[in-house]
Amino acid sequence: MASNSSASDSPDRIKTLRAKIASELPNVDFVLGYGRGFDPLHATPVTVRTEKDLDRLIFDPTCVQNLATSLYGLRGKRLGVVVKGCDSRSIVQLLQERLWERENLVVFGLPCEGVIDLAKLRVTMDIASVKAVRFEGSVRDGKVVLTLPEGERELPSAGLLADKCLRCQHPNPLVSDHLIGPEIEPQGAQDTYADLAALEKLSTQERFDFWKRQMGRCIRCYACRNACPLCVCKHVCLADSREPHWLSAEATLQEKWLFQVMHALHLAGRCTECGECQRSCPMGIPILLLKRMMNRELKELFNYQAGVSLEAVPPLHTFLMEEDRIKDRGLLW
Amino acid sequence: MRIGVMVCHAAREFPDVVFATDHMYACSDPGQGTIEQTIRSLKLDGVVVASCSPRMHEVTFRRAVERAGLNRYMFEMANIREHVAWISLDRKRNTEKATDLVRMAVEKLRHNRPLTAKSFEVQKRVLIIGAGVAGIQAALDCAEGGLDVILVERRQSIGGVMSKLDKTFPTVDCSVCVLGPKMVDVGQHPRITLLALSEVEELSGYVGNFEVKIRKKSAFVDWTKCTGCGACLEKCPSKKVRDSHNEGITTTTAITIPFPQAIPKRAAIDPAVCLHFTKGKCGVCKKVCPADAIDYDMQDEIVTEKVGAVIAATGLDLFDHRKCGEYGGGRYPDVITSLQYERMLSASGPTAGHIKRPSDGTEPKTVVFISCVGSRDRSVDRPYCSNFCCMYTAKQAILTRDHIPDSRAYVFYMDIRATGKGYEEFVRRAQEEYEVQYIRGRVAQIYPTTGEDGNQLMVRGADTLLGTQVEIKADLVVLAVGAESAHGAPALAEKLRISYDAYGFFLESHPKLRPVETNTVGVFLAGACQAPKDIPASVAQASAAAGKVLALLSKDKLESDPQIAQVQTMRCIGCGKCERTCPFGAIRMRELRDGSKRAEVVETVCQGCGICSVTCPVRAIQLAHFTDSQLLAEVNALCRTWDETTES
Repeated sequence: MASNSSASDSPDRIKTLRAKIASELPNVDFVLGYGRGFDPLHATPVTVRTEKDLDRLIFDPTCVQNLATSLYGLRGKRLGVVVKGCDSRSIVQLLQERLWERENLVVFGLPCEGVIDLAKLRVTMDIASVKAVRFEGSVRDGKVVLTLPEGERELPSAGLLADKCLRCQHPNPLVSDHLIGPEIEPQGAQDTYADLAALEKLSTQERFDFWKRQMGRCIRCYACRNACPLCVCKHVCLADSREPHWLSAEATLQEKWLFQVMHALHLAGRCTECGECQRSCPMGIPILLLKRMMNRELKELFNYQAGVSLEAVPPLHTFLMEEDRIKDRGLLW
Repeated sequence: MRIGVMVCHAAREFPDVVFATDHMYACSDPGQGTIEQTIRSLKLDGVVVASCSPRMHEVTFRRAVERAGLNRYMFEMANIREHVAWISLDRKRNTEKATDLVRMAVEKLRHNRPLTAKSFEVQKRVLIIGAGVAGIQAALDCAEGGLDVILVERRQSIGGVMSKLDKTFPTVDCSVCVLGPKMVDVGQHPRITLLALSEVEELSGYVGNFEVKIRKKSAFVDWTKCTGCGACLEKCPSKKVRDSHNEGITTTTAITIPFPQAIPKRAAIDPAVCLHFTKGKCGVCKKVCPADAIDYDMQDEIVTEKVGAVIAATGLDLFDHRKCGEYGGGRYPDVITSLQYERMLSASGPTAGHIKRPSDGTEPKTVVFISCVGSRDRSVDRPYCSNFCCMYTAKQAILTRDHIPDSRAYVFYMDIRATGKGYEEFVRRAQEEYEVQYIRGRVAQIYPTTGEDGNQLMVRGADTLLGTQVEIKADLVVLAVGAESAHGAPALAEKLRISYDAYGFFLESHPKLRPVETNTVGVFLAGACQAPKDIPASVAQASAAAGKVLALLSKDKLESDPQIAQVQTMRCIGCGKCERTCPFGAIRMRELRDGSKRAEVVETVCQGCGICSVTCPVRAIQLAHFTDSQLLAEVNALCRTWDETTES
């Protein structure tokens, strides 16, 4: 099957990871890590309960999933979890909101150069026909070698990097008990919200039409919600509630759109932009834009970025008499 | 469900609406009678009235609905007066908006559920903040009415601004002689607990059951032992301390009793200037005190009191004239404020009633008064009229002529506002009997000059009636400084959860019909904390506030508002965000048998603000009478048109 090897996935590093996990196994119920999925391009979460399971662990640029997503549903257990830099922000946010207890969590942190976005590969080929994948050199300037029925094909791996990796400022996990591999310098560009700016160049009517088109395609599968590490109340989700009756079962544009707006608002000041919602959307709707819009506002209004500090309090979860950047009265003290 | 809609003289078909009518004045007796009759005859389940703002008449209609046998919350009001009729003349669009509002109200009512108020015990005690003349009057009235009063004053003595005044207008009677007896009454009344040198630290709770934390600042003198003999004052070696009671025109000691009539007449040390605290050397007062009352190790003390109501009577502070460069910006010693002049005029003041120029101690022969300094002046952000300066200026001019018969008094004014009883006559007397020269115009500049009597001030201004420039060589210039909200008033307002305007004055609930109430039930206003007021108006409002408190606390039990947050335990995920955001501490986490946590609302503490409801990610907290479903029904009613046209 797959024969994966690259700079970011050196045999040494996976060996260290396995050894570290083995050393923690007696202290945890199980460890969440990455294993090979149904084909060489897909990774899948695996649970490591015994030393037998260690061989299944992998780590390479196909390990796109944010394993923190599974955490909230497993509350009450003592877990280990394998995280990339970006995933660690979800962990920070969960801990900060007291949705998980630090002492019940062992974090195996893996500095990460980037992961690939299969959507970018899908436009150039039928990815189901890929027989094997090999990463050569670093993800940033190396190449990916794909074995296809007609022979091998090489692509520069930088072109396949997920958008979030292109603006990644936190390649090293912000919280970890075991840091595996050397820390790396952030290589992402400063986030200028160019995607939002492009959208905002459109007139109100054009933007309205854009979202009408996008939201009209939603099939209300809630994959975006289920993939979100911070959607912690999926089991009693408003989308399914009849009292309060926010959404009806009608498949109208209004209901679909309202759900996405609710999702974005509930994540205002919490979303770490892991991008799982958009990645999991089977219809390819750019819903991360809504969340990035909220994050940009939060950054401007409260100078706040979610999931980077354990001590911070999300600005919308607190009550201050006067905010620094909102001068509504200016009289107080 | 059967709903009736009544439009107060101003319909289409709405779901469940079985009856719609209009009426000339729905709030009138016959209007209410019609509502009651219709409810009975058509067996209605709820009523929508489309009329004015619910602020005034919601209570009226709820009562009418209740009289007809319905729950009072099965009523909705659409405001088609303030929100429609008063804001636009476009009849077509007005009708459309009014229809929308009625449709929203009907949809809301369809989702309403009967709510029942609970009752709770009240504390028959009142907290009064500030012991100027308003606070004193309110305290005495409440105490006479049988309530226990906690009177908090941040200064060392009660009395406020009035205790600093020499005479009052228009009767020219001695200010402290009128106030003194009331101050003594406060000190001696068995129902009044006086906490001087104290400040409100925190107020929690709700009407009938407030809990207040008061910081009793350390006086470094044990007031249970101090007799007010004043031996310490005589011996205190630091004698160069600014005397705030005398507005800084003289100095005092580090240990002081502010004035002879002070209540409580107890000494206090200012640690910022006392040599014992600054240099660690002196201990003279401790040695001389015959009662052994001095305690350098005394600490601030926090006392907690439970009260049923609060009256804010924090009064005013004066405009700082140093902001006005044209009057010297505080650089010329002989340009003084009206309150400094008042202290000079006072027989018990630092100059024993003799008017002396601060620069050389001589008696001034020409005194110029400038009114509206920090009033009606947008350039210093004080656009409002301070209400009483015209009158005290007339009084001070009269007193000047009284004290120094051969003197001349000039008043620069913008307009003379003398609207009170006997006020106009008083100003006339100043002009005619006392020959005070009134010049209508502003002063452009004051600068020092040398006259035949030594250093003088040239006051240059305009006389707009004559259309000329005037220049007056003055010995003394008195600035009629305007009123500002008391220092720290906004911070106190936040603690009391009451509103305040852009200048820090507290907002009344309704400018005409609820002038002493605030929008926080159980908190009332008295005196100049609401707006600049003279003594009669402050006293009147204080008695009004006391009357309101007495009426409120005359009942043994009060009804709680059922429009509060409710937790659906099944939906709650126990994340605790509501607990952390609630500004009233009305939510606590309760542990279930399986060890998991769920939020719980403390019903009597909840104010129904709804912050928890919007914080809750699961919407497990709903605000009764304003549930998501009720609000969504309104939004859906409003957005129906949008929905119909954009459906894909």
